[in-house]
Amino acid sequence: MRRSSPCANFATVVVVAVSVGACAMIETRETKLQAVKTVGIISAVGDEMSFARMGLTGPNNASQSFPIGSWGLDDLIVQQATAALSGRFQVQPVNYPRAAFAAIKDSPIAPVNLVRGDPFKKLVQTEVSPQGLDAYIVITKAKSNFGNGARKVEGIGFISYGTLLASYSQIHALYEIRVLDGKTFDIIEKMAAPPLDNVATVGLTGPSRLVDESFSPSTGDPVRNENLHGAITDLIARSLSSTLSDMHLAAVR
Amino acid sequence: MAGKTPVDLVPLPVDEMLKTVLRTNDDPRRPVAEEFINKRRRDVLGAAFTALMLAPPSVAAAEPLVTLPAPPFELPVLPPVSGTWTVMVGVGGEYKPDFEGANRSMLSPVPIFAIRRAGSTEQFRGPRDSASIALIDFGDLRAGPAGKFVPSRKANSYSELNGLGDVNTAVELGGFVEYYPVDWFRTRGELRQGIGGHHGVVADLSADFIVPVIQRFTVSAGPRFTAETTKATSPYFGIDAVQAMATGLPIFDAKGGAHSVGAGAQVSYRIDPQWEVHSYVEYERLLGDAAKSPLVTVRGSPNQTTFGIGASYSFDIKIR
Repeated sequence: MRRSSPCANFATVVVVAVSVGACAMIETRETKLQAVKTVGIISAVGDEMSFARMGLTGPNNASQSFPIGSWGLDDLIVQQATAALSGRFQVQPVNYPRAAFAAIKDSPIAPVNLVRGDPFKKLVQTEVSPQGLDAYIVITKAKSNFGNGARKVEGIGFISYGTLLASYSQIHALYEIRVLDGKTFDIIEKMAAPPLDNVATVGLTGPSRLVDESFSPSTGDPVRNENLHGAITDLIARSLSSTLSDMHLAAVR
Repeated sequence: MAGKTPVDLVPLPVDEMLKTVLRTNDDPRRPVAEEFINKRRRDVLGAAFTALMLAPPSVAAAEPLVTLPAPPFELPVLPPVSGTWTVMVGVGGEYKPDFEGANRSMLSPVPIFAIRRAGSTEQFRGPRDSASIALIDFGDLRAGPAGKFVPSRKANSYSELNGLGDVNTAVELGGFVEYYPVDWFRTRGELRQGIGGHHGVVADLSADFIVPVIQRFTVSAGPRFTAETTKATSPYFGIDAVQAMATGLPIFDAKGGAHSVGAGAQVSYRIDPQWEVHSYVEYERLLGDAAKSPLVTVRGSPNQTTFGIGASYSFDIKIR
């Protein structure tokens, strides 16, 4: 009878152990979501809008920011997410300091993020009421590189992109969704909203679309620009339900 | 057309022609009809290809090719894995000197593979850049570890190297820093320590003007400079007494210092969200003891030029 080598035996044990472990972890994720009955929704995406000139620009190309809190985008997000999730969960209103959630930024030094862990975990644990819900859904700004350059954009914004022969304008609504366990505050699920199907060729990793110059915040008070307001609202509305369904939180589109 | 019966070639859809014209193999009208059908097929394919090239690239792949389950855990330092990712696969060819200092070149295939978030385009990368990860990323300033694989140089692979010793494969590990003062200008520096084939230190400096001509057509170009320590130069350009005896070349003690200066340029064109083509040329002039080595002065050339061309196809996968 041929004897199997100790190495083969060890490899078999390792493969089986890893497989069992992976199955257990997958089951934990699914089980955790299935056990969730009550959720609270937190949104901190829409307090300000950035305006960035990119591509062939002059040296003074720093981004500007405009306050757009009066648009009520976060209330809209909570409202739409509530509607999308109500079929599966019991959504309860929660109180939270929106500015504190909006102020959290990733460190540009990646190891720092690894050491400090997810900053939203502590914030939900200490600043959100009521506590004790099964899960909290936290919707915050996401970041993306633009095009093939190194510049990044975040959250709600307008980009004016210049090339040698033409220029383009683009709006974006970049956000990510976390599902935090209401007891342990561990992250059960996390996903950034993906691009819409009609994504433009200038790359952003979240919802965006090309617009004309009349949408530009530079042509007047951006808060009063109804075109801009409507287009941003449309981007969020079209992307939110699909992202929630991708996360298995809402019914599939 | 002797022996062939004239046929009335009414333009019909190709499938219809196949049904109505090619009834039997011995039909005397068959060769003419087949020729006509093949021409129509070529016309249709040509029109389709032209339409594909000219179509505006406004729509990305609507549906991902594959949907995979998300991993059961997330690392805080990494962006969430769930979502849609674009996988890029392709192939290219690189026509470059047989070895550093050679005056003959060879075409070799280059595989292309990358994964990035859907919607994003690949970040600018120069052909000479080492593989790197930006652990520090302020947007305009990025830094992190970098590594390069330097293949072995076998003396029996090329006649110019006969009598010289083999140089083993080297791995160069170190770091990079790059800075974008404006979106269209990148400066990059790398410092790497050799392990294996050489044990010296290599420093690469480069600058690139990155000009988007239109949204999907980008041209970039800029200067290059490389400096090396003696331990990095000597294994490739030095000739010891034994090698001198074997090759007839004079003994040469290659020292480090400025190693090469040059320039590079590349163009990339995104035909549509799936297909992209690119091409580049990199020229470097060997300097210092690398240029003075008898291997270069007698059997090679200080002028080193590399041409590259490639095409890639991108498709989406969804992780949920």
